[in-house]
Parts: sequence; structure tokens; C-alpha cells
Amino acid sequence: MLTPSLPAPTATKPRQPPAPRTLTAGERWRLRAPLLPALVFAIALTQVPFLLTLYYSVQSQNLLRPGSKEFVGLANYGKVFTDELFRNAVFNTVTLTASTVILSMLLGIGLAVLLDKKFLGRSVVRTLLITPFLVMPAAAALLWKTSMFNPVFGLVNWMLSPFGVDNVDWASRYPMPAIVGVLVWQWTPFMMLIVLAGLQSQSPEVLEAAKVDGANAWQTFRRVTLPHLRQFIELAILLGSIFIVQTFDAIFMITQGGPGQATTNLPYFIYQQAFRAFDVGEAAAAGVIVVVATITIAMVALRVISNLFTEESA
Amino acid sequence: MAVIGGAETPARKAKWALLDVVVVVYALVPVLWIVSLSFKTKGTITDGNFVPREWTLDNYQEIFTTTEFVRALVNSIGIALIATLIAVVLGTMAAYAVARLDFPGKRALIGVSLLIAMFPQVSLVSPLFDIERALGLFDTWPGLILPYITFALPLAIYTLSAFFREIPWELEKAAKMDGATPAQAFLKVIAPLAAPGVFTTAILVFIFAWNDFLFAISLTSTERARTVPAALSFFTGASQFEDPTGTISAAAVVITIPIIVFVLFFQRRIVAGLTSGAVKG
Repeated sequence: MLTPSLPAPTATKPRQPPAPRTLTAGERWRLRAPLLPALVFAIALTQVPFLLTLYYSVQSQNLLRPGSKEFVGLANYGKVFTDELFRNAVFNTVTLTASTVILSMLLGIGLAVLLDKKFLGRSVVRTLLITPFLVMPAAAALLWKTSMFNPVFGLVNWMLSPFGVDNVDWASRYPMPAIVGVLVWQWTPFMMLIVLAGLQSQSPEVLEAAKVDGANAWQTFRRVTLPHLRQFIELAILLGSIFIVQTFDAIFMITQGGPGQATTNLPYFIYQQAFRAFDVGEAAAAGVIVVVATITIAMVALRVISNLFTEESA
Repeated sequence: MAVIGGAETPARKAKWALLDVVVVVYALVPVLWIVSLSFKTKGTITDGNFVPREWTLDNYQEIFTTTEFVRALVNSIGIALIATLIAVVLGTMAAYAVARLDFPGKRALIGVSLLIAMFPQVSLVSPLFDIERALGLFDTWPGLILPYITFALPLAIYTLSAFFREIPWELEKAAKMDGATPAQAFLKVIAPLAAPGVFTTAILVFIFAWNDFLFAISLTSTERARTVPAALSFFTGASQFEDPTGTISAAAVVITIPIIVFVLFFQRRIVAGLTSGAVKG
């Protein structure tokens, strides 16, 4: 949950003219000191395992065949890229993330606009709306599976029964929409909160001016509010995507990646390779690919967003 | 801001109120359904009634008499609390440096923590599994606490530095002029002011550790360290043919209610924590 707003310049200290150059090495390290424990800790715990992942990714290692370990160069990467299951997992990840982000963003904007109005009990409604985001995801997923999607007594079928739907086994007939439904329910509050922050940062004078100029509510929203919200929406989409790409609980609990491979996304694929198929080499290679892809995409997205931020403040 | 286009007539108000109800129902039906299921008897659980026809506490009794759940609850609370404590202490120091101090290489350091925040957790699970087995940390509390701290740190640093930027730091300068060391100025003057932000961060970090499933399922194998989310995936009825929905529902209510109560009490802070840092202004 880091954002480009983090490195805000703190120009509070009155700078003595030669400030940066007169710092001795010792002083520089003393200034850095408070940051170091966190950084050393985080680097040790992410980079050591990552180096190990890199090492595994060039070894052929299957836990089911002890002593099968040998250096194979980039063979695992080749295997991953030609693996149809991997391509399927990439495709599923993209579908899952894109549909969840888009749907929850649309709903989130709607709810945020609603919550921006003043009405009785607004804060209670807001809390209630945040609830889905706070329910433990593993528990939520399990309950959606057993109590919402169940073909016999699930709530979804019960609610749709007036429309002639009965006894549909959602999790196996429509696995992807079912997972997307759960994730949208879970992530809409997150989108809503960020958009709401955007709405509330809008200056009332601008809205007043639009009204004076004769714009109706829709025009005001379209031409004034939406452009203002753009950076907030982009931020929410970026953060949301980073988390939703990593979705694991819902898939593990509801469909176990199935039926077949219909809902196997990348995290579940890697988990399966490592902990079910025991093909550590291929799992590691897939892991490295995912890391590289995530960081590349996130960097590009971040650059776009921080450019927007600087334009805004310029 | 309430009136964007036109006056608040009773008709408009009614329209918004109706919309409100729809929205709340959408968000709450699944939650209420879970609560309702948790109070149903085994015989009526499949009846599809929204309000239980026969109320019972059997499901709650059942989960609290199985060591499976109680033990997982103890693990979850202990692990999440310890991870939160350590992450908040380290995060506070780091956020202080980020928000307050100017030093060469600050941007690079921030960049590194950004990268860690985005690191896909799943690509680290299998090596962590091996490392922890080699070190004897597999299936222990520290085995989960360590990765939780790591992935909570960027969240903690980020939220805290957003809060820290709004503290009136002139006070610190004043304290220093009166002869306080930087450490004293921080502890005596700034820390009390920073407490609300630290508290909010602690709640967010706690929720993160509390909810994690991936590490919990891969880095534990027995009740020794298995947390609630992982234990839930092993939840089945007393026999293979018994539907566990009632007990799962009860478990879900037990683990969700504290978080919802938390949020009700500290809602303004949490919303501020989630958003104030996320966006400038």
C-alpha cells in the first residue's frame, strides 16, 4: 500500500547553505539509522528467499524423486513458457483481475457518490459498507461457497428463484463469475473509500460555480467531478490490482482452481506446482516470472501516476 | 456539497433513502445470512429461511469445545499481536526517518520498500518453506510472525509517514532548543502526538496478519501454529456426511465480530488511515 505520495519533500528544516556536503559519513548513517532496522529486516526476509527461488529456478528438482537435483540452466523457464497450464493461469489471472477491478470500481464510484450526500445515519451506513472488506477473506470465501453458492439452499439461488433459476451449482457451472462475484463484494469498499476521499477533497466553490453556469447534476459530475477524481481512481485501480492479482484464499476455498483449470490463477498455479506436484523447479521459475512481471507493470503504472501527481501540483 | 443539482425536496430525500436501503442490503445480506446460519439448528440449516425458525447456540458450543478452533484462535491472536507490535515499532522508526529526516539516498531507500510492498508473496512461499524447515521454524509462531512483519512493514511505514507529516514538528525543534537530544525530543514530545496514528496503523497491521491465508496454510502443518484462516479450510462436520455450514458460520461470526467492533469504534481513524495516506490533501 505504498504510493507515489510517500516521498514528500520535507523542507521544514531551515537549510544551512552547505548542508548536504558538510555531513560526514557518520552523520549520514546516524540520520539513516531509524530506517535501517525495518529495511534490513524486510530485505533479508524477501531477498534471501528470492535468491533461493532464483537458485531453484535453474535446478531440476522434484521432491517426489529424491536426489533428482541437477543444474538445468534455463530449462525450467522454457518449460513454464511452453506449459499450457501456465498460459491458462496467466489468462485467468488477467480475466479475474480486470473484471474484479472494473466492476468493483464502478460500484465503488456509485457508492461513494451516494455516501457523499448528507443523510441520516450516513456514518453507520459507511461502516456497514466497509464490513465486507473486513471479514476474514478465507472465512468469507468459505461461506460464499457453502451458504451463498450452494445449489440446494444457497442464498443466490433463493434470491434468483423468482426469475426461474433453480438449483444451479454456481461454483462449478460458472466458476469464474462466482469468484469474481465474491471478490467484487470484497473489494468494492476499498475502491469506495478512495473515491470518497477524492469526492470530499473537491472544493465546494467549483461545484457551486458549475451550478451557477447552468450545468445539471450529470454534467457537473461528468465534466468537473470525474476529471478531479481521475487520480484517485487510478490510484485505487493500481493498488487494487496489485492485491487482486495475488488472490489466493478465494480460489483455494471455493474452487481449488477448478473445475479442471478454469479458475487457476498464477498464485494458485505456483502453489500447486510447489506443494501438490512438488515440481519445485518449475514453480520457482514461474515465481520469478511473476515477480518480474509484477514489478515491471507496477513501475510503469507508478510512473504514470506520479507524473499525474506532479502535473496536478505544478 | 449535499446539493449538487436542485433543492432537497422530500421526494428527493425519499429517493436517496431508498437507494440507501438497497445499498445496505447489498453489503449486508451475506453478512446477516452468515449470522443467521450460525444460530440455526442442524435440521433447519437448509430451509432457506432468512430468520432461523429454531434458535440454537449449539454451533457456538461446538466450535468452542473443539480444540481445533480454540487452539487456532489462540495462535491467531498471539501471532497477529506479536507481529503487529514488532512491525509497528520498526515501522515507526522508519516512518520517522522518511517523514522527518533529509539524508542522501532517501529516495532509493523508499524505492526499495516500495518494491517489497509489491513483491508477490506466492513466489516466496516455497523457499520460505525450505528455509524454515532447515532452521526449525516451520510450524512455529516465529515462522509466521517473521513473514507477517515483513509484508506489514511497507503498509506500516506508509500509513505512519502519512500521519507523521501532519504533526506540528516545530514542537520538536523547541524541545531540541531547550536541550533535549533527538531521541528525547522524539519520545517526550512527538510520540504522544503520534499515538493516534500509531494506533490506527496497529489496527491495520493486525487485520493484515489476522486475515493472511497463504502463509498460514503453507508454513504450518499442525495445530501448533495453525491460525484460524488455515484451520477453517480443515473444518468439516463431526462426521463426513454432516454439513459443517453451521459451525463454519459460527466460527466466522466469532472471528469477524471483534474486527467489526474495532472498526465501529475507530472508524474515523481507520478511514483516515486508509485514505489520508493514499492521496494527498
